[in-house]
Amino acid sequence: MLQVHRHRLSWVLLWCLLTTLGGLVLAQARLGQVQAAFETDARIVHRLLSQRVVQHDAVLATLALLQPDAETTEASPPEQRLPSVYPQITGVQRRNRDASWPDEALRVAETLSRALRRPALAAVDLNRGHYQLVLAAEPTSFALQLDLHAVVPWSEWPMAPDTSPVRVTLTHEGQSFVVQPGHLQGGGWLFEFHKHLAAESQPFDVVAVRQVGWGELPWGWMLGWAALMAALLLAGRLLLRQRTERQRAEELLRLGQVARLNTLGELAAGMAHELNQPLTAVLANTQAASRMLNDEPPELASARGAMMQAVEQARRASDVVGRLRRAVERPDSTAHTQPVELEDAVRNVLYLLEPEFRRHHVVSQLDAGTGPTTVLAEPVALEQIIHNLLMNAQQALEQVPAGERQLTVTVNTQGPLGVISIADSGPGIAADVLPRIFEPFFTTREAGLGLGLSLCETLASGLGGSLTAAHNTPRGAIFRLSLPLVVSP
Amino acid sequence: MSSSLSPLIHLIDDDEAVRSSLALLISTVGLRVQAWADPQTFMTGFDRQSVGAIVLDVRMPGISGLSVLDTLKAQGVDQPVIMLTGHGTVEMCRRAFKAGAAEFLEKPVDDEALLEALQNAVRQHVKSRERNQADRQAQARFAQLSEREREVLGLITAGLTNKEIGRALDLSPRTVESHRANLFAKLEADSLAQLIRHYASLVDANS
Repeated sequence: MLQVHRHRLSWVLLWCLLTTLGGLVLAQARLGQVQAAFETDARIVHRLLSQRVVQHDAVLATLALLQPDAETTEASPPEQRLPSVYPQITGVQRRNRDASWPDEALRVAETLSRALRRPALAAVDLNRGHYQLVLAAEPTSFALQLDLHAVVPWSEWPMAPDTSPVRVTLTHEGQSFVVQPGHLQGGGWLFEFHKHLAAESQPFDVVAVRQVGWGELPWGWMLGWAALMAALLLAGRLLLRQRTERQRAEELLRLGQVARLNTLGELAAGMAHELNQPLTAVLANTQAASRMLNDEPPELASARGAMMQAVEQARRASDVVGRLRRAVERPDSTAHTQPVELEDAVRNVLYLLEPEFRRHHVVSQLDAGTGPTTVLAEPVALEQIIHNLLMNAQQALEQVPAGERQLTVTVNTQGPLGVISIADSGPGIAADVLPRIFEPFFTTREAGLGLGLSLCETLASGLGGSLTAAHNTPRGAIFRLSLPLVVSP
Repeated sequence: MSSSLSPLIHLIDDDEAVRSSLALLISTVGLRVQAWADPQTFMTGFDRQSVGAIVLDVRMPGISGLSVLDTLKAQGVDQPVIMLTGHGTVEMCRRAFKAGAAEFLEKPVDDEALLEALQNAVRQHVKSRERNQADRQAQARFAQLSEREREVLGLITAGLTNKEIGRALDLSPRTVESHRANLFAKLEADSLAQLIRHYASLVDANS
């Protein structure tokens, strides 16, 4: 019992191991996929934003070069038309020569811009998404008011801004502007991406964060994998058990055969000893008597005594034979008869002999009639008869080439009898052998006891049936076992 | 030959009928038979000095005939052993001969086969006993020789003349001659040929 439990436990452990390993691989693959997609998206976001902010530098540089005249006839300076072209530009300011900025921050930024020879940031308010960009120029310097909300090119955006779990922010000196809120929940795995925008004047840090929660693992696949492993292991276990059982059955069969042979050998040895003792005495006594009668003068008294002894020992030998017969006499086998389906019995024996047939290249075939043929028989005796007949056929078939070893078992009914016919394509039975084939101790095989067919016939008549042998056409032998059908009430 | 020296056949078989019938058959050719019902009594009780043979059944209760045979041979019993068996296999036969059986016969045994085997065995045993006796006598005589006489005997059997022996042992030919006469007398040898035939092997064994 413990053995069984331990066995089952090891299968369960194996299943756990396989499931865990598979689950890890699946999770790893999913995480890798998510990470790769995230990094691609983040790189695209960085590129798109960089392209947009670089435009601001270009606009400022163009203004500085063209120096549009503020004193034109038109109602407003031409740069005031820029916000209508660039939605992110909410306003443009200029500082003409000798004028001053309305704002101290712009003045500081202009100074910085002049020193760095590039636009400089002023009044950065990333939390609200506003900042200004100043370019110092002669005679007029310009400043752009920018709104980050309009910078993002949503049409080219790689993610769905409302549903995407990725959070994208721009950070600068402790402030941050949320480009895309994403969904960040606790636990799981965290992927991050940091890179400054590719514009020297607006060095905002693009920060993308992707949180992968436990719920995002491929639980469905994992469950499927676990189920698949369970199914495979169960199938494997079943197959293994079937094979073991089959092996055990074959082993039992072989053991049974060996045991039977051993019993038979023991019986023969015992019988030989039991009979040899009185026979030895009979022979020695009669020969001694014969010698004494030949003496001159003959020793009549001693010779008579020896003859009396011989008679007594001959009686003893006959007693031995009688005792043996009574000991091995089978009880009446009709006493244990029951309805048996001939087809089943044949199939059972064919199944048992299948490995044997395969080894000897015997091709067996069962021709069963339409319905089950139920006879009255003792199942063990019936299977023993079929077994012996099939083994006989196989031994006959060994005498013909491997390709011609055909064995056909037919089950049908003839009047009140169910009949099993076993036909082989072997060398057949010689005409002078046929009448003697069921005699005890008659055999054509070397080392054969000559008891197999004799036993079969005795068993068959014990069951109220009969066993006959005949030539098969075109060649080989055919044995017919007939048994009384069950009479339906 | 006195009656105590006439051949005695030991017959061991657990079956009374077999024992008595075989004893009767053997006695018809004038051989004495002593029958034993079980091997243990036989092995402790039989006369090991007797001349004759042993007839042993292979299959007996308690102890198998083959192990009885092994024991007899191990104890140095020199009587030839004839094995009888009810159903002899080749393997059993091989074992019996390997263990030193003189003959292996199957039951029921034919009178001529058994009696001939017994007579052969007895003849062979008598001969070997005589040979052993002669050997023992020669050994006893050889033991009476002095050291010097043994040396001289060795050189005589090697084919040396008196003169050569004297030179080899640094003795005068006359002394050699006297040793020679003594050892001929002690060994009861009449001729040089007889001396060499009976004692050359003993000289070799003792040198």
